[in-house]
Amino acid sequence: MKKIASLVQSRQRSVRIAATVFLAPVIIIMAVFIIYPIVSTFSISLFDWNGISKDREFIGLENWKMLIHDRVFWFAFKNNLTLMVCSIGIQIPVAIALATFLDGAGRKVNFFKVVWFLPLLMSSVAIGFLFSYALATTGGIVTTISQSLGGGKVDLLGRAPQALYAVISVVAWQYIPFYMVYFLAGYGNIDINIYEASIIDGATRGQYFLHIGLPLLSPMIKSACILSLIGSLKYFDLIYAMTGGGPGTATELMATYMYKLSFSHFKMGYGSTTAAGMFILVTGFALMMQTILKGNGSSNDE
Amino acid sequence: MAVRKFVVFLLSALIVLAFTTGCSKNSGGDKGATVSSETSTGSAGFGVSSKKLTITLWDIATEDPTKGIQERAVERFMTAYPNITVDNTHIQNDTYKQKLIISMSSGQCPDMYIHWGGGPMNEYIDSGFAVPITDLMKEHCDIPFLDAAIAQSMYKGDIYAVPFGGIGGSGIFYNKTIFNKLGLGVPGTIAELEATCETLKKAGYIPFSLANQNKWTGSMYFMYLATRYGGVDEFNAAVDGTGSFESPAFQYAGEKIQQWVRAGYFPDGVNSLNTDDGQDRQLIYTEEAAMMLHGSWQAASMRNDNEEWYVKNMDYFRFPNLASSDKPQNIVVGTSIGNGFSFNIHNDQDKLNSAFILATQYFNDDTYNSEQLATGRIPSIKGMGDTIEDHCMQKIWADFSSASNVQLWYDQYLPPAVGEAHKNTCQEIFGLTKTPAQANAELNKAMRDN
Repeated sequence: MKKIASLVQSRQRSVRIAATVFLAPVIIIMAVFIIYPIVSTFSISLFDWNGISKDREFIGLENWKMLIHDRVFWFAFKNNLTLMVCSIGIQIPVAIALATFLDGAGRKVNFFKVVWFLPLLMSSVAIGFLFSYALATTGGIVTTISQSLGGGKVDLLGRAPQALYAVISVVAWQYIPFYMVYFLAGYGNIDINIYEASIIDGATRGQYFLHIGLPLLSPMIKSACILSLIGSLKYFDLIYAMTGGGPGTATELMATYMYKLSFSHFKMGYGSTTAAGMFILVTGFALMMQTILKGNGSSNDE
Repeated sequence: MAVRKFVVFLLSALIVLAFTTGCSKNSGGDKGATVSSETSTGSAGFGVSSKKLTITLWDIATEDPTKGIQERAVERFMTAYPNITVDNTHIQNDTYKQKLIISMSSGQCPDMYIHWGGGPMNEYIDSGFAVPITDLMKEHCDIPFLDAAIAQSMYKGDIYAVPFGGIGGSGIFYNKTIFNKLGLGVPGTIAELEATCETLKKAGYIPFSLANQNKWTGSMYFMYLATRYGGVDEFNAAVDGTGSFESPAFQYAGEKIQQWVRAGYFPDGVNSLNTDDGQDRQLIYTEEAAMMLHGSWQAASMRNDNEEWYVKNMDYFRFPNLASSDKPQNIVVGTSIGNGFSFNIHNDQDKLNSAFILATQYFNDDTYNSEQLATGRIPSIKGMGDTIEDHCMQKIWADFSSASNVQLWYDQYLPPAVGEAHKNTCQEIFGLTKTPAQANAELNKAMRDN
């Protein structure tokens, strides 16, 4: 008996060693690039520090108090929420529609599959520059169309309310292909037999989509929603390239505000507080979303 | 068992190592800061080091003609001293400051870097990334820099920068062909300027070309209007706390701008046009717009873009006077150093001397200066502007020489956070999204909070 026990033990031990060795790289990378920066962000948030000096003054929760009363931060947060709602509301339905079309039409439409996928291959900064020309008030696409129809110049990026919606549309343009491919893969996973069975039973394409396709896609839709939520709350690059948060603070997001505080205003301490606040908000929203989605779809344990 | 212990030990060692390297990187700036107070000692044997050295140099010369001029200065230096390598990195203007801060906070600050003086320079100095060069300037530099240029390179009584970018004023470039066609003269007062704008508007021209996505461009209107109304005193009082940004000069500036916006003196979508892409010059080139308040460096850019057209059509006048003001009207908004070089070289006098010689004897030498002049830039050196050929630059130089004072760009003079607040509120004034009173109250609050 004793012999067997020790054999089991030694087996367990070797498994543990192997696990340690295999997990080590991940643990180290996580520790250095994820856990350490998060901890460090929270600790810097307690200091008054310009980001370059060796002197940093410990000021406790002063930065956090300031953050709670910071009008610009909460305005940026509101912009993030608008972006989030629009992203989920526009990107996912459009992506489902495109994926359904591509899935149903088969190989004939491979051309569209490639073309629609292209935006995702471009870097955000390139897209930002491209659209800041395309939407330019003088000589931009929208203005040119409007002028040829007898209208005036259209200022999309330079005025307060429409600038935000203009950049949100560009963000949608960039990310719809991502969700499209995602849902296309989802359709690929649906057993062809299910489709054939439903057609034999006399279902129309619309019925198949509503009663079979969509329910089977729902786990993917839920994770797409969470991805989109997190993505919109920490969005940065395209907005920074297109408007830099302007005009004024009209398109300021939490991330662009954080960046400016840390690197333009010489307020690394407060910038870190913003980053930490953002971390808390994003995590909170993501958890909330996950709970809500889980509550709805009790059938699957995602 | 031994193997497991070993693995655990190895893991923890690695983690500790990762953390400590992370930390030491973080505190890289410390080394510099602790020795920054040392002043240059032992001027005996002044000269370029004979050892093998690499000097890292950061600047913003990403485009010709500046890029070529600066690279040639570095090349001349490296040819004269083959043992020294100058590792020169050009970084795009608007991202430069951020990259510099990141490099400083991670202990990778270049040995020699450019800046614009003012608030950010003071931050660099306070944080120990610039050594004082007062003694070097006194003993080993006989360039007759403008007094204003030296004043702008100083902080708390020491010199920290070698000027090299040339003076940068601002004023109104205008299309004289359009002016002649409409029978317009150069406006001498703001009221005349407004009459000029009305005439231009009626003739179908956009009076002012302005690309205000970058914010500092529209800021020039605000600075000039405020300076014409209240001189430099009102600004200085607002900064040091004896006055306020809510005082009449700033109120006047904000209201005037909004009045002009409503009257249609600026292009549509003014806040979305980008000056880095030359969208303001574009409106001038297409002759849709007739005037442009801008920095004097635009003369060089326009000449570079299309010399023939520029000489034929463009001219310059100073920002007009405000007739009702009793404050001096000959103040120029701009900078008297353009850019300065600061040195992040500690505990190595030999290397510092070498970099200093590069900054004073290769930048700022005759070849460099004549190349600068040829492209329409005037080095911050006495008498330099007298020989300039560019017709706009002659007028800018005359303005500068007769100016009673130079109002440094707000966004460079003010502490960085306040400078940003100014740029944002000013952009909102142009966008009509804030009233001047709201914008100035916000700016004043930023100043007081700082």
